[in-house]
Amino acid sequence: MRRDGGRLLSGCRRVRVRRESLGWQVAVFLGVVAVPAMLLHAQEGNQTEWKAATPSYTLAFPRDHASHPDYKIEWWYYTGNLLTSDARRFGYQLTFFRIGVDPNPINPSRWAVRDLYMAHLAVTDVDGQTHQVAERLNRDGVGWAGASTETLHVWNENWSILLDGDTHILRATTDDRMVRLDLQLEPLKAAVLHGDAGYSRKGAAAGNASHYYSLTRLRTSGTLQLNGATLNVEGQSWMDHEFGTSFLEPSQVGWDWFSIQLNDDTDVMVYVFRHPDGSIDPHSSGTVVGTSGITRLGAGDYQLVPGRVWESPTSGAAYPVEWKIEIPQSDLVLNVAAAVDAQELHTDRSTGVIYWEGTIDVTGTRAGKQVWGSGYLEMTGYAGRPMSEFFR
Amino acid sequence: MSLFHWLILRHLKQNFLRSILTIASIAVGVAVVVAIQLANRSSVRGFEAALNAIAGRTSLEITVAGVDIEETRLTELGWLREYGLVSPLIDADVLLRPASRRFGAGNEAEIVRLLGVDILRDQPFRDYRLLESDGRELVTTQEFLQLLTDSRAVVITAAFADRYGLEVGSELDLIAGTRASALVVRGVLGDEGPARVSDGNFALMDIAAAQWVLGRLGRVDRVDIRLTDGMDVDLAEQAIRERLPVGFSVGRPVRRVAQVERMLRAFHFNLTALSFVALLVGLFLVYNTVAVSVITRRVEIGILRTVGISRGTVLRLFLGEAIALALVGCVLGVPLGWVLAQEAVRLTSSTVSQFWVATAATVPPLDLGYVAAAFAIGLPLSMVAAAIPAAEAAALTPLATVRSDDHLDMREQLPRRFLVGALLLFLVGGWLATREPVGGLPVFGLLSVLAVVFGAVLLVPVVLFGFSNWGKRTITRWLNVECRLAYANLGSAIPRLSISVAALAVSLAMMVAIAIMVGSFRETVVYWVGQTLQADLYAASARQGSATDPVAISSEVEATIARHPAVVAIDGFASVDVAYGDSLIVVGSGRFGVLLEYGGLLFKAPEDWRHAMAGAVGVDAVVVSESFSLQHGKQVGDSVTLQTPRGPVPFRIAAVYFDYSNDRGVVVMDREIFEQHYAVRRPTGLSIYLDSGSDPVSVRDGILATLGPDRRVIINTNSALRTEGLRIFDSTFTITYALEVIAIVVSIFGVAAMLLTLVLDRKQEIAMLRLVGAERCHLRRIVMIEAGVLGIVSQAIGLVIGLVLSVILIYVINVQSFGWTIQFHIPGVFLVQSSLTILVATILAGLYPARVAGRFAMSDLSAEG
Repeated sequence: MRRDGGRLLSGCRRVRVRRESLGWQVAVFLGVVAVPAMLLHAQEGNQTEWKAATPSYTLAFPRDHASHPDYKIEWWYYTGNLLTSDARRFGYQLTFFRIGVDPNPINPSRWAVRDLYMAHLAVTDVDGQTHQVAERLNRDGVGWAGASTETLHVWNENWSILLDGDTHILRATTDDRMVRLDLQLEPLKAAVLHGDAGYSRKGAAAGNASHYYSLTRLRTSGTLQLNGATLNVEGQSWMDHEFGTSFLEPSQVGWDWFSIQLNDDTDVMVYVFRHPDGSIDPHSSGTVVGTSGITRLGAGDYQLVPGRVWESPTSGAAYPVEWKIEIPQSDLVLNVAAAVDAQELHTDRSTGVIYWEGTIDVTGTRAGKQVWGSGYLEMTGYAGRPMSEFFR
Repeated sequence: MSLFHWLILRHLKQNFLRSILTIASIAVGVAVVVAIQLANRSSVRGFEAALNAIAGRTSLEITVAGVDIEETRLTELGWLREYGLVSPLIDADVLLRPASRRFGAGNEAEIVRLLGVDILRDQPFRDYRLLESDGRELVTTQEFLQLLTDSRAVVITAAFADRYGLEVGSELDLIAGTRASALVVRGVLGDEGPARVSDGNFALMDIAAAQWVLGRLGRVDRVDIRLTDGMDVDLAEQAIRERLPVGFSVGRPVRRVAQVERMLRAFHFNLTALSFVALLVGLFLVYNTVAVSVITRRVEIGILRTVGISRGTVLRLFLGEAIALALVGCVLGVPLGWVLAQEAVRLTSSTVSQFWVATAATVPPLDLGYVAAAFAIGLPLSMVAAAIPAAEAAALTPLATVRSDDHLDMREQLPRRFLVGALLLFLVGGWLATREPVGGLPVFGLLSVLAVVFGAVLLVPVVLFGFSNWGKRTITRWLNVECRLAYANLGSAIPRLSISVAALAVSLAMMVAIAIMVGSFRETVVYWVGQTLQADLYAASARQGSATDPVAISSEVEATIARHPAVVAIDGFASVDVAYGDSLIVVGSGRFGVLLEYGGLLFKAPEDWRHAMAGAVGVDAVVVSESFSLQHGKQVGDSVTLQTPRGPVPFRIAAVYFDYSNDRGVVVMDREIFEQHYAVRRPTGLSIYLDSGSDPVSVRDGILATLGPDRRVIINTNSALRTEGLRIFDSTFTITYALEVIAIVVSIFGVAAMLLTLVLDRKQEIAMLRLVGAERCHLRRIVMIEAGVLGIVSQAIGLVIGLVLSVILIYVINVQSFGWTIQFHIPGVFLVQSSLTILVATILAGLYPARVAGRFAMSDLSAEG
């Protein structure tokens, strides 16, 4: 981890903006950036509302791959599992965030911040048991970061996603040049709309929702440079794109989120919000993309059972790194295990958020038949201050 | 050792006063040298420290020749990311005023270095430690991120906050040029990184807010690059230079220190040379002390030699005396130097800011290097000074010591040899004065001064002998007994006196030379100011902004001034700093048309400057300052190639003009041409011409009243500006005079010590005079007359040699260092005054020896053999 991140933007630069479906980072930025910013601008009489997610909005492609600057928060999220020709396995994550700060800044300077652009890169070397991360945080300024409203083109300095025909082109290099990702992703399935035709409800309060879809399976090829070696890799990726304005509620203190691709061409996404008392929030949900169709799951339609616990030597947090997932509707029983235990991320002391995210191995049965696969898991709220503090 | 104690230390103790004087003079000499070194260092160091604190971990910086960077051009520089982190920034001097002082006397604002950075990018470059107002480190991201969105947010340093009792949430006014904006303190920086600049006069803003508040939307001053760890800076610099678009340049931040050092080099070099004059005087006294020590112990030396002590031992004994004196002198001189340096920095700070380095100079800590240097200079030079008398002591034969002559082996034919030596040295000095400078420094010029000084030293005994011989035949006839006795005493002690007189004469010569040079310079400047300052009023913005975008006078302000009924013409001056070769020059602009009509420059060449200037309007032609012409060897008709934002452009030199306000070279072009090459910019100064009937003061007051209190424009009348110019000029030379006064005081002490020696040596003789009826008052008078005669002779030699030195200073050293033409002018009144003062001072220096002489009684007659 770079040491120089620390002082000015403790809490911000080092925030490992992770994931996802309801990334806590979203909450952080809602709470930390957006609210004070809105207050401030309210004082200056310049407040303009961000657009709220509504069930009436209809997603269409490729149009909705592009940016939606009327909404406060948006991200493009890619994870995947890759293999070299000699079967070395890697997990990767590349995420681009746009966080609206002030829809209409009064300062006419180009550097005035309407949106913040963040990006995060993580690569897990399963055989080497290493986990390398890097991030970017920028304003658009003179165009050093941005997201096109015309097509899927999001960039943060020399990290970028670009849609070329149907191919998603991903590029990212860490400053120390130890990690470089150069991937082409071909979607194998049409976009899957989560929730109600892409309107994904997150909380009890009206408007706590987002527009959310996934490309659940993309054939991936390209090169991964790691610590000086250039590796040709192939594998499968998962892409999420989500945008909205208001997401989470104070009682949602943490969550566990899974994306899984099985060998029988079934893809699974499930998550639960945990309450302070350990109970599960009713707005938890999931989606199973089977060969024969898509199944949308409510909070009662599946069960997540934690198994073996790994205790982080640095934070002391105890993460379940093995899980059992049961989805009776789809006749699925899956056993999930972290490919590498130590995939915990620390944000610095200022936010106190510590969480785990990484590549997983999956085995199980579907209707009694053996299935296997891989995916990604994110776990938050296991250490440090309760997540609810970031919601206020 | 016991021998050293017996012969030397005991003697030094017995002659306590003389020992103290010698030590004091060495201490002062060493102190002056150390002080000048420290002061020189501090002026650059202040700039360097500020630069380093601001640069932080920046490895390279991208700039555009002379001007700021149009930010859309940064998109052409996206590839810089391949080399490391990139941070564009605004770097400006502004005024900050706590809101509580808003209605105060108006002078409550402080100059603060303001950095406007993209706080998302800049953090790896510089250390910022944000504190809560109670001193705790700030822990919430929240407050820091407010900086992003609040265009009124500013972060100040803890030092500044303490000074005004400010805390997070306090209001401040930021005044840049002619505009004032209200800001809110959103954070306080701990004492780290840039916050350490000039006593905490530092403020941080987000780049967006800084651009807006400073009225600099769309512009940045430079782009800092922090190379990826492990990347070779030279290779990266080379690679980046090759890829940069035309007009951009890349360099290390430290290059700006080098440019400043180069600008100040000639100034520092001359100060250093001057400081050695003070040391030289101290060395004369070492010579003197050891010589006297040898003379008074001839008998002891004889005894030592008789009992088998070798010549080598005798030599070492007397060199040891010099070392003992010098050692104590150096030990005292180093801390004294540090004290003097504080004073010198205070005196020169106005000079230094004249030389563009606008920063609070602080004296660097006295590190071991300075101490070592003091000893490395003081000890060997003292030994050299003592070498001649010590060698003479060693050469004494036991037989010679029992003879009764009381002087060193100095025969009547010596004056002739000295005369030849002196003439030779003068010739060498004359030849050296014609040599070219070495690397822009007047090395040979100073060697020439040295030759003349040593020539003068050799000349002193010749003059004294001549004076003595001539006097013997003539004056003594008309004089009373005291005078005759004094005269005879001096005549018999010439060999010893020579050194003291030489020391005083050399100090006086330097004083005279500098007085003539400064006086001539002042006359020249007064004339030049009279020719150049033609306008009736001069307007300037309250404070310069960034180096690449000085805060200009707004067009509304200019329009308001132009509307005043008494104003008939306005000319604006805008300028940029541009690298030329290794140095920074000023590229300025004015309206050549207005210049032709109203004057305003004093031209050196060509003769028909009106014609030349008329031909330079609206074309790529420039007029250059004399110093530019001399330093870069450019004449009228030559071409000079300047860096512009669009790459190098050649300009024809139409004329050369005199400029005593700047020694680093100025190139001026017509306003229109300047705007064409360096983009349109508001002027930083206005020359305002009034109709002939109006009173400048009331017009100025009228304009200021119309502008209102928030328009921070300074308007000076012609006469106020002249006065201010001369005040700066005079303060510039204060340090020079201070040094010379020190040298003269030391030399007068030397004369006093010498007289005291003479008195002590003549104890028997004086007792005898008492025996034959001389009163105390007679004896005292004799000594006072001796002192007076020495003063007159020294002053006479000093005047003549000083005149010669002033010619070298004005026509060689000044021209080579600064490139100014100075009209020769003798400040008669000053010289007469100072001569009389010194004469009186010398006579007063005779007071103590005179009192000692008066104390001798007849009983002293029997005290010794």
